[in-house]
Amino acid sequence: MRRRWLCAAAIASISCSGDDRTVLTVYSPHGKDLLGYFEKGFETAHPAIDVQWVDMGSQEVLDRVRAEGTNPQADLWFGAPAEAFDRAAKENLLEPYIPTWSNSVSVEARDERDRWYGTYLTPEVIGYNTAAVSRADAPRDWDDVLDPKWKGKVLIRDPIASGTMRAIFGAIVARSVARTGSPEAGYEWLRKLDANTREYTLNPTILYQKLGRQEGVITLWDMPDIATLQQRLKIPVDYVIPSSGTPLLVDGIAIVRGTKRPKEARLYYEYVSTPEALKEAAVRFLRIPARTDIARDSLPEWIRVAMTKIKPMPVDRKLMADSLNTWMKYWDANIRNSGRTR
Amino acid sequence: MSDGAARRSWMLALPVLALLLWVVAFPNVAVIAGSFENGFGHWREFIASPSDREALTTSIVISLASVVASVLIGVPLAFLLSRFEFPGRRILRAVATLPAALPPLVGVIAFLFLYGESGVVARGVQTALGMEEAPWRLTGVWAIIFVHAYTMYVYVFLFVSAGLERFDVTLDEAASGLGASSWHRLRKVTLPLLTPALAGSMLLVFMTSLGSFSAPYVFGGGIRVLSTQIVASKLNGSLGLAYVETTVLALSAVAGLVLFRWLERKRKYTSSGKGGATRRIIRSRRAQTIAAVLSSLTVIVLVLPHLMVILVSFAVDGSWTTQVLPPEYTLDNYRRLVAESQLWKPIVNSVSMAVIATAANVVVCFVAAYLIVLRTFSGRALLELLVALPWAIPATAIALGLAATFNRNDLLAGRVLLVGTFWILPLAYFIRGIPLVSTAVEGSLRQLDASLEDAARGLGASWWLTMKRVVLPAARPGLVAGALLAGVTAVGEFVAGVVLYTHANRPISIEILAQLRALAFGTAAAYSVLLIVLVLIMTLAARGLEERIA
Repeated sequence: MRRRWLCAAAIASISCSGDDRTVLTVYSPHGKDLLGYFEKGFETAHPAIDVQWVDMGSQEVLDRVRAEGTNPQADLWFGAPAEAFDRAAKENLLEPYIPTWSNSVSVEARDERDRWYGTYLTPEVIGYNTAAVSRADAPRDWDDVLDPKWKGKVLIRDPIASGTMRAIFGAIVARSVARTGSPEAGYEWLRKLDANTREYTLNPTILYQKLGRQEGVITLWDMPDIATLQQRLKIPVDYVIPSSGTPLLVDGIAIVRGTKRPKEARLYYEYVSTPEALKEAAVRFLRIPARTDIARDSLPEWIRVAMTKIKPMPVDRKLMADSLNTWMKYWDANIRNSGRTR
Repeated sequence: MSDGAARRSWMLALPVLALLLWVVAFPNVAVIAGSFENGFGHWREFIASPSDREALTTSIVISLASVVASVLIGVPLAFLLSRFEFPGRRILRAVATLPAALPPLVGVIAFLFLYGESGVVARGVQTALGMEEAPWRLTGVWAIIFVHAYTMYVYVFLFVSAGLERFDVTLDEAASGLGASSWHRLRKVTLPLLTPALAGSMLLVFMTSLGSFSAPYVFGGGIRVLSTQIVASKLNGSLGLAYVETTVLALSAVAGLVLFRWLERKRKYTSSGKGGATRRIIRSRRAQTIAAVLSSLTVIVLVLPHLMVILVSFAVDGSWTTQVLPPEYTLDNYRRLVAESQLWKPIVNSVSMAVIATAANVVVCFVAAYLIVLRTFSGRALLELLVALPWAIPATAIALGLAATFNRNDLLAGRVLLVGTFWILPLAYFIRGIPLVSTAVEGSLRQLDASLEDAARGLGASWWLTMKRVVLPAARPGLVAGALLAGVTAVGEFVAGVVLYTHANRPISIEILAQLRALAFGTAAAYSVLLIVLVLIMTLAARGLEERIA
C-alpha cells in the first residue's frame, strides 16, 4: 500500500511540471529570494511562461553550462562575475544579444561582442567583525591586511570555487604584472595573506558564520553581501572600501548558446534589467545597478555613499581571461597553506 | 555443476551484466578515456604536482584510519546489543543507526556547530575552564576521521549485527562446553564466522571515506584529499586533470577492494545451522549500573548532532555569536517553511526517487549477490567487480560520467538523453546503492551453506521453490539492511544531486543548500529536521517490515 502511494507520488511529481506553459530555465547564483521574487513578477507579466530557476555558485554554473555543451539545459545564465562570462564566451557557450539598454552601461560592463551584459556592480571590500575590531583599528587598504597583527585572524572563502575571491586574487596578481611585468610580487602578497589566514572556508555561508562568531575577524569579500549581513541579518560586521582602489566586479546576464527558447529568454533578460527591476533589486536584495541611466537619488543611501568612495581598480580583462586560471593553479599548488603554522 | 545450472546462471547473469556494464562501466570508461585526451599530458601534470601527491597520500591514510575507528566503535556496539540484555538496550538499539540518518551536508554542519571551535562543546569547555582561546580546533586529518567514524561506524554496526543475527549460538556453546575460554571462542569461532560481514563493511567504510567530500571540504582546513581536488580541478576548468584524479582515486579504491576481498577469502566458514540469537541478561548489580551509564553516554553522543540541528532550527539567525548556546529562540524558521508553497515538492521528489532507485537495487542486487555467492560461472569475477565499482568512484565522478554519457539520444552508441530529466538522479542513486545492497546481501548469503540449495534441489524442490524457501530467507537480513541504507542514503544524497539536479527533480539536500546560500541557517536546520524525521520514519517502517516477515 505504502509503495503504491509512493509510486503515485513519483508519477505525480514527474507529471506536475508538465503544464502547457513554455518552460524557461535560468541558472543563477542570485539565491532563492531574488529569483523567487522575479519569477513571480515575470510570470504575472507573461502568464504563458513558466520560469524554472536552478540556483548554484557562479563557477558551478560555468561548469554545468560547459558540461552540457551542445545540448544545453539552461536558456539563461543570470549572474556571475564578468571573468566567468568571459571564459564562457571564449569557449563559445554564449549567444550574443543586444539589450534595449545596451548604451546605458559603461564599456567595462559589457562584452564587446554582446555575449553578456552587466546587471549589477560588485565592489570588493575588506570586511571585519565590529564586536571584535573597532572602525579605527580595521585595515584601511589591501596591504594593511598583511599586517602581522592579523595573523590567524583572517578568514578567506576558498578562492578556487569563488568568483569573488578569484577576482580579488586576480586583481592583486594583475597589479603586480602591471607594475613589474611578472606575477611574482603578487604571489608574494598572497603568500603573506596565506600566513595570516586562519582558514579557507567552504562556502560564503560558513565564512559569514565564522566571521560573526569571531573564529576570525577580518575577511576579503564583496560589499553587497556584507551589507546584507549587516542590514538584514543583524550580524555585527561592517566593511572598509580599500583606499588605494578596489576591483569593481561586474555581475552579468547572458543567453546560453543553443537555447530552444530565445524569445522567452530575451523577455526575461529585459525584465530583470529594467530600471524598476534594478531599483527593486537594490532596495530588496542590496544589489548595485550597473546601468548608468538610473537616477542616483532613487537608490538606497548606502549605495550612494559607497559610490562616491569607490576608486575602481583598472582591470585588464584580456589578461584575466588568459592568465587567471594559471595564477589560481599556481596559488593552489604552491601558496595555499604554505605560510600557515598548522 | 550441470550444463542446465550453468545455463540458468548465465540467463540470470546476462541482463544484470548488461545493465551494469551500461550504467556503471560505460560512464567510467568515458572518464578514463578523458584522462588520456591529450596522451599522457594530464598524467604528467598530475605526477608533477606536489599537491596531488599529497592529496593521494592523505586520502588513503584518512580512509584506513576511518576503517580502524569505525571497527573499534561498530563491532563492540553490535556485540553488546545482540548478546546482552541490559537497562537502556532498547533505546541504544533505536539510536545506534541514527548517524546514518544525518545527510552528509547536515551532519557536517551539525558537527561544526557542536564541536567546531566556536561550537557548543568547545565554547562550553572554554567557559567552564576560563580559557582565553578555544580548547581545540575542529580541523585537519583528525577532524575528518572523527566525523567519518561517527557516520560510518553504522556500516560496521549494521553488517556485524546482521551477521550476528544469523550466527548459530550453539557453536559458541559447544566451544564453551569443550572448555574454550571466552577469548579463545571469540578468536576461533565468532570472528571467523563474522569475517564476511566485517570485511564487507570495512570495504564500505574504506570506499565511502575515499569518496567522502563534505567532511574534508568543511573540516580539512586546507588539507587536500583527492575527492576535493577533483572538484577544484573541474571548477578551475582543468577537466582533463580532474579525470586523471578521478582515475587515480578509483585505482586506489580498487586496491582497497582487492585487499578487503583477500581478507575475506582468507577465512571462509559457513554455518549450516538456522541461526537465532539468545541474549544473555546481565544480572550483576554493578555490571547493570555500568552498562546503564555507558549506554546513556553513548546515546547522548549519538543524539547530540541531531539535537544540535533541532536547536539551530529554533535559534534566531545571526543572534548566536560568542555565547555557548543560542541566546534567542523563535518559531519563525518553521513558519517560513510552512509559508512556502514549494515545501513539499523536494520531499516528494527525494522520496519518490529513493523508492524508485532502491526498488531497482533490491531486484538487481539480490540477483547479483546470489550469482556471486552461490553460483560458479565464468562471468562471476566481472560481476563482482561491477557491483563493487560504484563505491570506488566518488559521487562527483559518477555524476560527471553520467552527465557525459547520457546527454543525448544515440542508441547505437548506447546513449539515452537523461540529463535534464527527472530520471538522471534516480539512476545516480541506483548506481550508488548497488554496492550497498549487494555487499549486504552477499554477507548474508555467505553464511548460507551452498549445499543447502543443492540439497533442496536434490530433494525435488523446483528452482523457484528453493529460491523462495532457502535463498531468499537467508538473504533477507542483508536485503533489508542494504535496502534501508541505500534508501536513506538516496533521500539525503547531496554530492551527485548538486551536479545533476534539475528543476523537475530538485531533492531535499539542494533545498537545504539553497537555504544555506540564502544565509537562512535556521530555516536550513528546520528543513534538515524534516529530513531527519523522514529518515526515522523510513527506518521504523523497514524494521516493522522486517519484523512482520520474520
